[in-house]
Amino acid sequence: MIDHVESEIGRVTGRVAPGVVGEVRIPYKGGTETFHAYAWDAGETIEVGTEIVVIERVGPRTVKVAVLREEEQS
Amino acid sequence: MITTLIVVAVVVAILVGLGALLIKTMWRVAEPNEALVISGAGAVGGELSGQGDAETPTYKIAVGKGALVIPGLQTVRKLSLNARKADLAVQTVTSQGVPVSVRGVVVYKVGNTPREIANAASRFLGEDVQTMETTVHEVFSGHLRSILGGLTMEEIIRDRARLASETRGSSAEEMETLGLKIDSLQIQEVDDPSGYISNLAAPHQAAVERDARIAAAEANRAATEKEQAAAAAAAKAVADSEIAQSQVKAQADTARSQAEQAGPLAQAQAQKQVVVEQTEVAKLEAARREMELQTETVKPAEADRDARIAAAEAKARETELEAAATAKKVEIEAGANAKRVEIEAAAQARATEQTGLAKAAATRATGEAEAAATAAKLTAEAEGIEKRAAALEKNNEAVIAQTLAEQAPDLVRAAAESFRGIDNLTVLNGAEGMSGMAGEVMKLGLGVMPLVQQVLRNGGGNNGEKPPDD
Repeated sequence: MIDHVESEIGRVTGRVAPGVVGEVRIPYKGGTETFHAYAWDAGETIEVGTEIVVIERVGPRTVKVAVLREEEQS
Repeated sequence: MITTLIVVAVVVAILVGLGALLIKTMWRVAEPNEALVISGAGAVGGELSGQGDAETPTYKIAVGKGALVIPGLQTVRKLSLNARKADLAVQTVTSQGVPVSVRGVVVYKVGNTPREIANAASRFLGEDVQTMETTVHEVFSGHLRSILGGLTMEEIIRDRARLASETRGSSAEEMETLGLKIDSLQIQEVDDPSGYISNLAAPHQAAVERDARIAAAEANRAATEKEQAAAAAAAKAVADSEIAQSQVKAQADTARSQAEQAGPLAQAQAQKQVVVEQTEVAKLEAARREMELQTETVKPAEADRDARIAAAEAKARETELEAAATAKKVEIEAGANAKRVEIEAAAQARATEQTGLAKAAATRATGEAEAAATAAKLTAEAEGIEKRAAALEKNNEAVIAQTLAEQAPDLVRAAAESFRGIDNLTVLNGAEGMSGMAGEVMKLGLGVMPLVQQVLRNGGGNNGEKPPDD
């Protein structure tokens, strides 16, 4: 089992914004797990429901994410 | 030989049994809800190994599969991944300062990523479940207090997303350090000693109560209206019924009265008919008497009157005819007289005319004779003048004219003398006759003018005599 979550695509379940801890749900080991999330671009706000891609893992259950753009999806 | 083979077989069987037993004791399999943490010599399991630093002994983690554990050299511990819950009861104030007493429950489990399992294992492994629950309870009571202090009462009651966000914001770091994951935080009960929540509801309750009272009042009004309308309809029905009954009764009374009156009425009508007939008889009687009167009195009087009128008319006619005859007679007599006078006058006129004409002819002849004499005389004078003029070389035409002009009245007067003999000149042609007569006079006078001129020119100077003066 590979314990990598980078480049996984998921969805925001708790608003990601400056000053708060967001939450995203991404595929993990055959199921889905919720991870604490911060924006990769500091200061960006990502609303609930937005598709994101995980950029970097910064803790056991904390990732930095960015909004998934159309060109990244294809 | 046979015994040797048997011994070998038994030994092999024992060895196989021992081997299987050894494998059985060394191979440990993790259940789905637990993690095996294997520590000891050589227990470093690739990507599943814990992320310890240099001072932290590394260990092998197996989740959901088996691992070989070498007895004596390695130890294996199980870490349950089951969800657990911790009951919380805190007393705090909201961000508005409202005191609340909250009872909640937090559901958590050891995270199932290897790093969380490692963190949890290093803290809780070997402790009993009670220890983990106590720790989580203590930690989370403090967090819940701070979470609630950042929310308003309305958010606590209604805004789950905000509650979850605050929970993550205040406890995420600590939970990761403990290797725990919060699945859910539920506020089960909010006790509100200050009555804030019931006051929140008061406006809505008042509105609902108002609506209820309005609805009741309207319903009551509608019901009353319907009742009154129904009562009015009922009363109207009763009135209509009474009216109809009265009408029927009136009709019946009328019919009965008419029936009662029928006898006397017929009698009266019969009497009336009798009177009518009697009147007719009286009328006929009067007519008969009038006719008699006409025959006896009026007719003879009229005949008498007519006879007298006829006599008067005849007499008048007679008188008229007499007058006409008289007038005719007078008229005829007058006509005869007139005719006779007219004829006599005409005869007299004709006689007078003839007399005049004869006299005129005589006078004219006399005049002409005198004129001729005068002319001859004048001719002689003229010849005298002409000869005188010739003798005096040139005689002016003007002198002639002047002489002639001087002599003209004398000539005319001489001509007029021819008419002097006529006593009674009757002019027959009226004005025309008058002018004719004047013309005749002028002709007589002027008719000699050329002759005079001729005389003056030719032989005026022959005799040298002047025209005679009057």
